[in-house]
Amino acid sequence: MTDRLVGCVQKEEGLVIPDDWPGYNLELFNYPEHYRGDIESVLIPHGVIMNRIECLARDILEEIGHHTLMVLCVLKGGYKFCSDLVDSIKSQSRSTNRQLTTRVEFIRLKSYLNDRSTEDLHIIGPEDLSIFKGKNVLIVEAIVDTGKTMKALLQHVKMFQPKAVKVAGLLVKRIPKGSETLPDYVGFVIPNRFVVGYALDYNEYFRDLNHICVISETGKQKYKV
Amino acid sequence: MASYLEILDDDQGHELSLFCVPKHYEEDLDSVIIPNGLIKDRTERLARDIVRDMGGHHIVALCVLKGGYKFFADLMDYIKALNQNSDKSVPLTVDFIRLKSYSNDQSTNCVKVIGGDEFLLVKRTPRSSGYRPDYIGFEVPDKFLVGYALDYNEYFRDLSHICILSDRAKEKYKV
Repeated sequence: MTDRLVGCVQKEEGLVIPDDWPGYNLELFNYPEHYRGDIESVLIPHGVIMNRIECLARDILEEIGHHTLMVLCVLKGGYKFCSDLVDSIKSQSRSTNRQLTTRVEFIRLKSYLNDRSTEDLHIIGPEDLSIFKGKNVLIVEAIVDTGKTMKALLQHVKMFQPKAVKVAGLLVKRIPKGSETLPDYVGFVIPNRFVVGYALDYNEYFRDLNHICVISETGKQKYKV
Repeated sequence: MASYLEILDDDQGHELSLFCVPKHYEEDLDSVIIPNGLIKDRTERLARDIVRDMGGHHIVALCVLKGGYKFFADLMDYIKALNQNSDKSVPLTVDFIRLKSYSNDQSTNCVKVIGGDEFLLVKRTPRSSGYRPDYIGFEVPDKFLVGYALDYNEYFRDLSHICILSDRAKEKYKV
């Protein structure tokens, strides 16, 4: 634990899900029939994700939602989080009579094979992000574990001289050599398990599941590459 | 046996600051015990189970006012969505009854439940009559809960999450 400065405002670190929490029984919820047997449990139901996003959107709007907000969405896993987050930001901005223009750019990263994070990081996306110059930028990522992606993206974006860059991460994993820097906006802090759903995949499967779940052994074998 | 989502006795709930809560209630609540999104997801599943079990027969939905109105509205929406999107659909009509059985936070002894066999919340309490509904959303600890149309002397119905009422607020809004 690093020492904290006295008087420093400690930002809340997100909704913490303890390691020993087994998750909810899948049978208490609606889910696509084709995944029966492939899921161990529901870690975060879709509705709770949406509630938490509403709260993050409120904070983002208050802190950097002025004039123009550039959003950089990390595909493919980030697409649902980004879409729902931007919707919530825009909707809340409309009710406060604030003038806010949001613009979304997409970047693609490939670094997972099966359920392991690999060493190489491929950034595929717009070469020229000069539209970021002098603007507030929000990087939107679905999941942060080693923090490598976040670090690489921050470096990449800073090259274009934005006014400010913040990161919103829906999920932050608790891992031994975890990321030293946390996103500015965190949805949930989760145990070190491989999760699927809400656009997070296992070899491209499970993106069409709206709850965030833990995959079962059956599922891992069935959809293995 | 109806399946349900169990909220444990020692569940402290979530910090208020993690969710969007109306400003006028920020001092009155201890924690969020069931977020609105979780209620919606569970209700969606209940709707599916109900429609499946009704076997194509006409459903008359009886809403127990006032505490039941949000659950009723959301449940009906999900049933209607299922009706619209599948080949089989079930005719649905609605009706309302009103019951009063709570004064401050104590349940008085005379509660008549007429019709309406499905409930969102079933309390685990020693005073329970042993009645179990056919469809249960959540089984909750014997604490006083507010929100999602559940009130404390008419307050908190405008809160979208189900929360634990603070002792301070019990005094503040006392009749």
